[in-house]
Amino acid sequence: MPSILSLIQNENMKIYRRIGTWFMIALLALSTLAGALITKATHKEPKNWKAEVASEIKEMEAQLSEEKVPKMYKNHLEQQLKINEYRLEHNIKPVASNTFWGYLVSSADIIALITLFTIIVAAGSVANEFSWGTIKLLLIRSASRTKILLSKYIAALLFALCMLLLLFVFSSVVGAIVFGIENIREPYLAYQNGTVVEKSMLLHVMQVYALNCVDLVMMTTFAFMISAVFRNHSLAVGLATFALFAGPQITTLLAMKFDWAKYLLFANTDLTQYIDGTPLVEGMTMPFSMMMLLIYFVIFNALTWFIFRKRDIAA
Amino acid sequence: MNPLLQLKNVRKDIGKKTIIHDLSLEVFPGEVFGFLGPNGAGKTTTIRMIVGLMGITSGDVLINGISIQKDFEKAIQHVGAIVENPEMYKFLTGYQNLLHYARMTKGVTKERIDEVVKLVGLEKRIHDKVKTYSLGMRQRLGLAQALLHRPSLLILDEPTNGLDPAGIREIRDYLRKLAKEEGLGIIVSSHLLSEMEMMCDRFAIIQHGRLVGIESVQELSKQAQKVLLTVKPVEQALTVIKNIYPHMNITSAKQGIEVSIDYEEIPSLNAALVSENIKVYGIQVLTKSLEERFLEMTGGNEIA
Repeated sequence: MPSILSLIQNENMKIYRRIGTWFMIALLALSTLAGALITKATHKEPKNWKAEVASEIKEMEAQLSEEKVPKMYKNHLEQQLKINEYRLEHNIKPVASNTFWGYLVSSADIIALITLFTIIVAAGSVANEFSWGTIKLLLIRSASRTKILLSKYIAALLFALCMLLLLFVFSSVVGAIVFGIENIREPYLAYQNGTVVEKSMLLHVMQVYALNCVDLVMMTTFAFMISAVFRNHSLAVGLATFALFAGPQITTLLAMKFDWAKYLLFANTDLTQYIDGTPLVEGMTMPFSMMMLLIYFVIFNALTWFIFRKRDIAA
Repeated sequence: MNPLLQLKNVRKDIGKKTIIHDLSLEVFPGEVFGFLGPNGAGKTTTIRMIVGLMGITSGDVLINGISIQKDFEKAIQHVGAIVENPEMYKFLTGYQNLLHYARMTKGVTKERIDEVVKLVGLEKRIHDKVKTYSLGMRQRLGLAQALLHRPSLLILDEPTNGLDPAGIREIRDYLRKLAKEEGLGIIVSSHLLSEMEMMCDRFAIIQHGRLVGIESVQELSKQAQKVLLTVKPVEQALTVIKNIYPHMNITSAKQGIEVSIDYEEIPSLNAALVSENIKVYGIQVLTKSLEERFLEMTGGNEIA
């Protein structure tokens, strides 16, 4: 019986020996470069950042003095206010998008592209075996279907991880070249237990990356399921991509009218809503969203596993 | 001798339709077993059930005595197979394809891969991408992946498909050698009947998902069949034969007299003729070809 490691090695070979994969990597590198150049070309440096921060503070104070501010939003405003005051006090410039760290934080938006690529790879790893007919030779070895499915899933997630690392490396290099590294010692200001603390910017970037990966993991799992159920690559990629881009908007619309929208997957994928924003539906908390994500994750995987294990291979 | 493969009342229902009806057969080490049937008879479905690609509705498949349903991983490690066309990863080289399958079984070394590549005669092209291969070369690569882990049961669906006559002969000799020298049990399905006749020791003929019959090549030549007698004088011989077998169809052809009798009765017929002072110049057994037998058993090549 083969070890799971050699099965993953096989899946990796099937991912990285295809030209399409290298095309994706090239596209990723290109978009980091394009993002940096566009930022450099369009960014306007504020004349006096202190004056701007001061005017922001005034605005926030005005909002806070109003009566009907929701409690969650009020907390958020108070935190931002404290941080801004801290900036003025300690002479720490806000992180502009045309600095090394600012660019690195905004590079997290490119994770949507990685999500799309991972959906393509994950959906393909099951559906392609069917359309190529290779599934027959794959499943008549002394490896259980569970093991083979698991190796494919792990290989897809490893691909995502690899792309994330590449994104980080590409963005760091591009950011350093285009924006310079003078501000590399800049701290990240966070609000913790009632006080503002200076934290490592690197850790902050990693946190932003991690939060953006929730979508990535959920949509990859979803695409993997569709691919195992319908054995059709285009269908899996199409559905997962549609869900990825239209899902949050539909959920937001529903959330304005109905409370039950909070049980929908996309109401919970954006965890940043608890860190610097307001929850979609009042009363939602981080643990609630984590729980919902876990439930969806288990359902998707269980369905995939159940169907793949039972299916008659007639391709 | 213990059978390598046992099918015990294997049945397959798809929806309400029964595709395979209680099929039972056994394949032994050292034999090449032919699987015959018209299109749509259920050959491929049966093969898919044997290798675990399809579930079995009732009954069981045992490989080396291990149930494919209860202990798939253990049972399947003795099996090498090509199911329908040998479909490979076209964007990989032949060697990478073999490496892929080698990793899926413990104990397949690089040396073994080289050995198998040499065996199927692909040394020159093994590092080329499979998309550049001809059908015959893919067939050879398919055979290579099936042999990689030294299986004791080899299942080949249409193994000579796409090969030229020299290639067919080569594969046929090689399969016979594997069966005789290494004691493999080999199941071959094909609709090239003359091909099967030269390759196989026994045949199962299935139709409409039912086993119509199992025959060995020797049996095939021993069954009630036609015997061509070259005798003189012909008229006298005809009377003698009519006396012994009053109900027999006798045709006198240009070459002699054709009679239909059992193999075992040939000597006594000869004795009777000789005792009547008829000169017997030749007794030729006209072996029924597999094709005739096949058409006789399946009633023509209808698609159910």
